[in-house]
Amino acid sequence: MILANGTLYDTSRQDELLDGLEERLNRTLAEQTLAPEQVISAIDRLGQRLDRGEFDALLSQVELADRYLAQIRPHLTREALEYKLRVELGTDTAPFVTRPPEELSPITVRPAPLGVLLHIAAGNVDGLPAYSVVEGLLTGNINILKLPQADNGLSVEILRQLIREEPALTDFIYAFDTPSEDVDALLRMAQLSDGVVVWGGDGAVSAVRRFAPVGVKLMEWGHRLSFAYLSGAQDRARDWPALARHIVETRQLLCSSCQVIYLDTERPEDVHTFCRDFLPLLEQAAASGPARSLGAVSELTLRRYQERVERAISGDARQSDRRVYHGRGCSLTACADRELELSHLFGNPLVKALPRRELLPTLRRQKGRLQTAGLLCPEADRAALTDLLVRSGVTRVLPAGEMSDTFSGEAHDGEYPLRRYTRMVNVR
Amino acid sequence: MSQRTRLFHRKDPYDLPASDQQFLRAVRENCAFHYAHCPEYRAVLDSFSFRPEDLKEYGDLEKLPFLPTLTFKQHRLFSLPRWKMAAVSTSSGTSGQFSEVGFDFPALWCDWNMLWKVGRPRGFFSSRPTHYVILGYKPRRDNRTSVARTAFGATLLAPALSRTYALKYENGSYTPDLDGVADALVRCGKSRFPTRLVGFPSYTYFLLRLLESRGVRLSLPPGSKILLGGGWKQFYTQQVEKPVLYDLAQRVLGIPEERIIEVFSAVEHPILYADCVHHHFHVPIYSRVIIRDPETLAPLLPGQPGLVEFLTPLLTATPILAVMTDDLGILHPAGSCPCGNPAPWLEILGRVGLKDIKTCAAGAAELLGKGGDVL
Repeated sequence: MILANGTLYDTSRQDELLDGLEERLNRTLAEQTLAPEQVISAIDRLGQRLDRGEFDALLSQVELADRYLAQIRPHLTREALEYKLRVELGTDTAPFVTRPPEELSPITVRPAPLGVLLHIAAGNVDGLPAYSVVEGLLTGNINILKLPQADNGLSVEILRQLIREEPALTDFIYAFDTPSEDVDALLRMAQLSDGVVVWGGDGAVSAVRRFAPVGVKLMEWGHRLSFAYLSGAQDRARDWPALARHIVETRQLLCSSCQVIYLDTERPEDVHTFCRDFLPLLEQAAASGPARSLGAVSELTLRRYQERVERAISGDARQSDRRVYHGRGCSLTACADRELELSHLFGNPLVKALPRRELLPTLRRQKGRLQTAGLLCPEADRAALTDLLVRSGVTRVLPAGEMSDTFSGEAHDGEYPLRRYTRMVNVR
Repeated sequence: MSQRTRLFHRKDPYDLPASDQQFLRAVRENCAFHYAHCPEYRAVLDSFSFRPEDLKEYGDLEKLPFLPTLTFKQHRLFSLPRWKMAAVSTSSGTSGQFSEVGFDFPALWCDWNMLWKVGRPRGFFSSRPTHYVILGYKPRRDNRTSVARTAFGATLLAPALSRTYALKYENGSYTPDLDGVADALVRCGKSRFPTRLVGFPSYTYFLLRLLESRGVRLSLPPGSKILLGGGWKQFYTQQVEKPVLYDLAQRVLGIPEERIIEVFSAVEHPILYADCVHHHFHVPIYSRVIIRDPETLAPLLPGQPGLVEFLTPLLTATPILAVMTDDLGILHPAGSCPCGNPAPWLEILGRVGLKDIKTCAAGAAELLGKGGDVL
């Protein structure tokens, strides 16, 4: 399905629509301006319709719809959106004149949209493709969305409803269900764009880097790794169950999900002690966590077994350096190394010793992939450890149980997207 | 005589209890051979601190470390030099991911023994000349997939009058010729000799539907059979309602249900399983099935669903003596089938897998095997 000119077209009309796209984009760029207010009020009205249950049928295809809604609904209000604009763009939404020291000349600064954004969206979060487009709209850009292959139709429907609320958005929204293999079509879209916004894993990001023309700005929202860091005396009764719940509830599938539990210690035996102490809590969380199918459980078990066989065949010495503590529906793997890496997911984190002095050099080896650190430590150490984590490249530092919570006004992987979708034009 | 040969020469192919000790001895012998000749296999056993001598009693078979079928797709594991192998069998995998399993000469003899004993009760063999219609590949020298071979092998069970293939090799690729097959069947219907139709359940179903839509109603001579077969995969990726298929076969070809025989085998476990009249797959003495707990891999009791592991001492060329499939199944207890075959029977439930998993953790999509859909 293709969304263009506010109308749905069949996929087969892609080439024909692409043929006329440059002309349409140019006309919109020349003649139309989109004010944030138009976007904000459309979304605000959409949010109210959501509350009235108008989209219940649509939402029924979303996994854990209630929790999903509880997470996103608060962001779909006028207040939240205005706040987002204010935090991310500050006062830079209206033209202003610089006031440099006396001997330097001032100039007028006029914020403007980047122009045309091509969003190459991933299907890993429901509605994310539409969200990416909304960020582009808030900054006044024309948006071409390449839908993920696994899209369930939710994104196009959201965009269609937005256009219904505010017809002025019509010429600012295009969505194509072009398959990733159709590099020719993607290249044509990229050539018409000022920026390419790409969501996804290493494969997606490097694919876009290969085909994006020079001169088109790349904005990459890649996949990330997160971890917990436990230092000093612990509030086991409060913080540990919260960490266990976070691990089980996110199934370790999010960028912000804890993959490795680091202990601030030099002593390998502390890792094993922790595993024994923490395992019952993880089991408790797993028992009340989302149910897992026989097929999924089997697949994970087989993968782990296969890994073990592979390590034996390749003579990898890590074999003897790892010990698995099996629990019902979960496990902890005590490791002798320090590297930050992906865990076995689904309630199976790795546990490693990482003394404070080793923290920065270890994390630097994953620079560009770091996201959230769940920090559990005595209050007195919190500031110093937070500072160290920030210097290491982490972009969020939170209590371990809240690692995957979302916050108003927070940056995305260390950046404000709206700022990246805007250019500052100088006029005199 | 080797322990393996003794096992494959046993008379009753379904008397498991009487063959248990022989099976153990054969596996131990096989295990010792691979341990001595396949460095990768030895490394795996060593990593589990397991040695062939640890197979002391029958119950120890559960403790023998197994190799997942994926291992054979990622590694070429051989315990014999190539020149000592009679044949190499490959699975029909996609994107270069296929298994290669070697057959030594004595294994081929064991194979024939097995085929004879498992096949005879189901009427595999006949001296009457027979027409064959094969819903598969026409064999070529460079097509070593076991599917093509097995289909050809099936035409040796009774003297072949004619062989018609549904997939023909033309200008460098295989093309389906269902019309040709349909015409051939109509011709066979006029012959006084029986016809055997050999193919995957799904292809067979498709062909029968095609014939039915053309109004074909044949009454193939007595002795005509349908042999359904394929790897494990066909069981659930192309699930066909079996009763519907049986009904169609009766209506379109005049072949009754009891003359529809289903067999299966796998490259990594090349043991012939043939169904009984109730279409249950009884475990023959050359094979043992262990169903394992999906979470702990501990062996489960009969009747409980879990991961399907197969054991066999058939091959000395490749260490497939204990392989773990990615299938879920149930082993129904011995003596539970009304057909009178005392051996336990295996039911395949489906394949392991993670469906619709969404992730943004770095590397997770690749780990979950979703690296293909990169954008």
